[in-house]
This record gives sequence, structure tokens and C-alpha cells, in this order.
Amino acid sequence: MLKKLFIVFKKDFLTSRRDFMALYIMVAPIILAVCVQLFSPGLNDTTVNLAMFKSDDAQHIAYMEQFANVELFDSIDEVERRVLKRDDIAAVIPLGDDSGYEIVLQGNEDKIIENYAVMLNTFYELGATKEETTAQLVSFGRIVPPLKSMLVTMLISMTIMLAGMLISISIVEEKYENTINALNVTPISQTGFVLGKSLLGAVVTLVGIVCAVLITGFYDINWFMILLMGFTSMLLSFIIGFLQGLGSDDVMEAAAGVKMIMLPIAGSIAGYEFLADKWQWTMYWSPFYWAYKANIMILSKTADWGTVLLAAGMVTVLTLLVYLLMLPKLRKGLS
Amino acid sequence: MKLLSTYRKEMTIAARGFYFYIEMIMAIIILVILLFAVKENPVSKSKEYIFYDMPQQVSDYLTEKDISEGNLRIGEPVEIKLKPIAFEALNEDTGEVTAYNFEEESVLELQTLEALNPDTGELSKTMYIVENEEDLVRIAYSEIEIGATIRMNAQSEFSYIYYMQGYETERLENLLYILHNETPETIEAMTDQQTVRTLDVFDKLNNRENLIPMMIVFMGSLMGFFIVMAYIFLDKSEGVIRAFAVTPSSVWSYLLTKIFVILTTVLFSTSIIVIPIMGSGPNYLMLYVFLIVTTFSMASLGLLIASFFDSMTKSFGVMYVLMIALLLPAFSYFIPSFDPFWLRFFPTYPMLQGMKEILLNGDMGYVLIYSAVFLVGGFILFLLANIKFKKTLTV
Repeated sequence: MLKKLFIVFKKDFLTSRRDFMALYIMVAPIILAVCVQLFSPGLNDTTVNLAMFKSDDAQHIAYMEQFANVELFDSIDEVERRVLKRDDIAAVIPLGDDSGYEIVLQGNEDKIIENYAVMLNTFYELGATKEETTAQLVSFGRIVPPLKSMLVTMLISMTIMLAGMLISISIVEEKYENTINALNVTPISQTGFVLGKSLLGAVVTLVGIVCAVLITGFYDINWFMILLMGFTSMLLSFIIGFLQGLGSDDVMEAAAGVKMIMLPIAGSIAGYEFLADKWQWTMYWSPFYWAYKANIMILSKTADWGTVLLAAGMVTVLTLLVYLLMLPKLRKGLS
Repeated sequence: MKLLSTYRKEMTIAARGFYFYIEMIMAIIILVILLFAVKENPVSKSKEYIFYDMPQQVSDYLTEKDISEGNLRIGEPVEIKLKPIAFEALNEDTGEVTAYNFEEESVLELQTLEALNPDTGELSKTMYIVENEEDLVRIAYSEIEIGATIRMNAQSEFSYIYYMQGYETERLENLLYILHNETPETIEAMTDQQTVRTLDVFDKLNNRENLIPMMIVFMGSLMGFFIVMAYIFLDKSEGVIRAFAVTPSSVWSYLLTKIFVILTTVLFSTSIIVIPIMGSGPNYLMLYVFLIVTTFSMASLGLLIASFFDSMTKSFGVMYVLMIALLLPAFSYFIPSFDPFWLRFFPTYPMLQGMKEILLNGDMGYVLIYSAVFLVGGFILFLLANIKFKKTLTV
């Protein structure tokens, strides 16, 4: 059985090389990883953007640059035009009577932008400096911001979906070409054929995930843990692919199914990130939640084996449960 | 007339399949989630761990003062489990490195204080009071949250030690330093003297409403790009496009009816989401105009891409990379201070901003300009797709 599965996998791999399909699946997480690597520094810099006059006191500009991204302009018209643009930026410009500075806002900014700009101007006018502070900072030396871990974990979740999507479309196309019926006259079973076809998506995705994690600089994580979760997530991809592929009569239905599967994935991520601790249990039904939780803890190096094994176990059990529940539908799809 | 007849036929076929109904069910699910799971005002998840290094009476006095002023309320105590752990911490001011090694598991019960926004009275952050500095350091490291020791000396002067993770930006660190130059009273008095001028008066979308543009753009227009490709590949596999060559209908009318089917679905699903949440607030005329032109242009892009491939699997890579690229402006939408110039060239950027303006009944000039841009862009893409399909009649 395994030998036959491997033959289907090998055949599929050779075919997919002609379509660059395997390359696409592997390249997609890598492109995304490069994007995360490029984006995360900008996203992590959450300080306010300030617009100031070029002609302003150089010390004032230098003071503000310690705390904010400063953009300089020649005239009040230019400053106001900049403030009126769509992004959030506050202006700090001299008052008409030279009695100090005023904060100019568009009017639709988040309150935090106004507070931040007001606070900075207050400290400037008070002459507050770092040197006269009564505060000390102690650092644990972590260099990866949580936002980056979150983005890479989201990337992994999307890759799981991508593999499932590919498996499903691939199965639908085979169904359409009557390949599955033709299998009745070959030594391989229909189930074996579908499993063999799915192996390609799952294996190449696992490689893609590993590459993405490496590109984003997570070298010193527990690789056994991430690989365990990677293998467990492959089960998820299988189930998504099987259910959608075998349950859909044509590529339109498979495409609509992809949209449906986005909901539990996005919901699980949002649930983990935004629900209060006491409400997290409401997401325990979702295997995507457990996969996301384990992956983000592994990447932020707060995972222990107990949590990872529990998450891997939950993904496996929930996935098998869905498989068993949907077995009659899967059999029907294969017939 | 032929166009209308083909559209009717396509809609009849669509009504027989699952796709149309899945779209409607999805819209209803999203509506239910937005109405019942998303609050109008966001609930803060910001946490801080604090150790008061001062006599109990002083910390109690400070807490009670804040509670009486409405800035604080007592929350439910929490239990926190700490695993054995070893790590080092660097004091950035003295350069001193301290090694910590906690060999035993520990369970702590912490008092909870909820800081409230003075303007809205809503939760702004949750603070947990720790009983000694060692536990504070251990919690700040294990929970990856900020920790602070607030110390009072014999002269009743306060000083602060912040336990940071290390990935915080230099700008944030600088801000923490200058926060502690003057007394809170001096800072408050000076803050009250600041002049703030706003250039215009704007309405704002609440937390729930703010999610609608993203739902419409990504679940509607952008999915139109994906779904129209699926339609074309389905028809290609069934030889429908070739069959069109021997009918009086032209290829362009066939392609246009596919877009019309998508448009009909998007118009229905968007209405299901927008009307119950936004009521009579938005400019509905502009909403539907903008929705039609953006869906038309995205679907035309899908048609053009579909014309280069034989099957969904072969187009998968291009489609996937494009869809991911088109999702990127969502970062700028949710983090307005992150707005790189190059991101504005992604079509989904003006789509999100335009939808926001429509829901706010705001800058209709912006919406009209981009409606024209999407119409012209969509028309060009449609023409190119038509030329490509006519040349190849690929099936």
C-alpha cells in the first residue's frame, strides 16, 4: 500500500513540476516570509508621526526625533496638507504669537495620537530629558517582537489552508477527468490514490513552512516542537483538501469551500489574540486554534512540551473526529 | 438583449449550484459575528505587572486615591502558574547583568487593578500587583509582558525600574525615561495648557463598523477575482467557451455575464452585512457604485489571468501570490501610522479607504475619483481579457 502511495506521490510530483505547481506552493510561504521580514520593523515602530517646520529650532526637532518619526515642511499649507492625508500624523508648529507650540490634528485620529503628541510637547516645554530621569530600564535581551511571531504564525496557518486548497482543487480536477473511476481497473485503491495525491501538497508545504521560519530568523526555536506541529498540521491540510475536494462536484464548489474554510481559520486567530483569558475555552473546538496557539508559543519560545503535546493531540483528535463524522460523505465522493 | 438573456441563463445555473448560497450563508455568518462577537468599543488586553516597593499604607493610599478619582477599579484576583526558568537581565543604565534561576514551579495569586480611560470610563489596561521584585521579574520574563517596580525612598521620592523584553524600540525607551522627570501634578498642569487644533470635524467608525470595509473588500470584491477564475476554468473544462464560438453571442458578452453573476452575488452579500449594522448612515448610492466598479475591475483582472492558463491548479501560484499582495493594505488600514508610500499603489488600498469614506458619508470626491480609476482600469483589463480569449478560444 505504502509503495503504491509513494508511486502516486512520485508521479504527481513529476506532473506538478511541469506546471510549476510544487514550486508555487513552496515559493508562496517564502515570498510571504520575505514580506514579514520587510514589514515587521515598520509595524513594530508604534510611535507617533509628527509634522514640523524646517525652519523650527534645530534643538526642538532633534528633541522630537528622539520619540517620534519627524517629517519637515516649509509652510503651514504644506503641514496642513500633510496632516489632512489619510494616515495618522500630528503637527507640532509654533503658535502665531510665538507663545509656544500648538498641536494640529486632522480630527479623525485615534485619541492615542493626540495624547502622544500633547505629551511630547508637554515634556519639551518642561525641559524633560533622559539624563534627569528617575527611571531605569532592565532588558531581557529578546529581539523578536511579538508582532513578528504573530505574522509568521498566521503565515503558517495560511500555508495549511493553501495546501488544503491545492489538494481539494487537484482532487476535483481528477474527479472531473474521471481518473478516480478509472482507478477501479488499477491495483491501487481510490483511497490510496487520493492519499498519494495529497502527500505532495502536504510535504511541499512542510518544506515551505520550514523555509519561511528560517527566512524570518527564528533559528533558535525548538525545532522538534515546530516539526511536530508541522506534521500534525499536515493532517489538517488533508482533511480540508479531502472534504472540499471529494465533497465538491466542480471547481466552483471547491472555490466556494475555500472561502468557507477561511472563517474558522480567521476566527481561531482572532479568538486567540483578542478573547480574554477566561473566554479562550470557547475556541477549543477548533483545531486551527490549537495549531495557532502551539506555533505562536514555539516561535516566542514560551512553549513547553506539555502544551505542545496537548495542542498536537487536540489537533489530531479534532481532525480525526471531523474525518469520522464526514466519512460517509468522503466515501460518497470517492464512488 | 442577448446579454440579458445570457445573464438570466447564468443566474439560473448559479442558483442551482452551491456557490451563490454559500456566499449568502457566509454573509449571514459574518453579520452574526459582527453583531454579537465584536464589541463597538475595543476591549483592552494590555497588561502590566507592578511591584510597589514602599510601605503597604502608601501603596494602599495611592490605589484608593485613583479609585476615588474614577481612574481605577479593583478586578478579580488571578492565579498565575510559573514554570522553572533561568535567564539573564541587563540593566541598560548601569550595564549590570543579573542572572536569575528559578528551579521550582510556583503558583501566585495576584491582586488585579483595572486602569480606566478618564474620558470614556472604559478599561485601558489591566495591572497585576506582585508581592516581591523577584516574582515580578520572573512573571515579566515568562509572560512576555512589561513589569515595573515603583520605589519610594526615605525622602518620599519615587523612582521606577521597568522590565522590558528587549525588542522595544529606542523611541519607546526614550519616552519611558522622560515620563519620570517631573511630578504627575506638574505634568498634568502643563498638559492642560497645551493648544490642540483640529482641521476638520470627522465622524469615526466604531470598532465593529471599522471591520465592514475589510469584509466587503476581501470577502466580496477580492473574492470576485478568485471566483470568476473558477467560473472560467469550469467552463473551459466543459468546452463552453469553444461552444460560444458557434453561437451568435460574442465572447465579450459571455465574459461580461460571468462578471454580472459575481456582481449580483456581491451586491446581495454586501447588503446583508452593511444595512443591518450601518442603518441609514452610509451613502448607499456611492456604496453600490463603488462596489460595482471595484468588483468589475477585480473580476476583469481574474478574467485576464484565467486567459493565460488551462486549469485552476496551473494558475494557482499567480493567483495566490496576487491575493496575498492584495491583502497587504489591510495592515495600513488597521495601523494608520504604518502607511508606506508604495502601499498606496495596491488597488485594495483605495478600495478599503473608499469604503470607509462611504460608510462615514465623508470624502465623496475621493470615492468618485477612484470609482473612475477602477472603471477605466477594469475596462482596460476586460478589453485585454477579451482580446486574449478571442485569439485563443482556449478550452
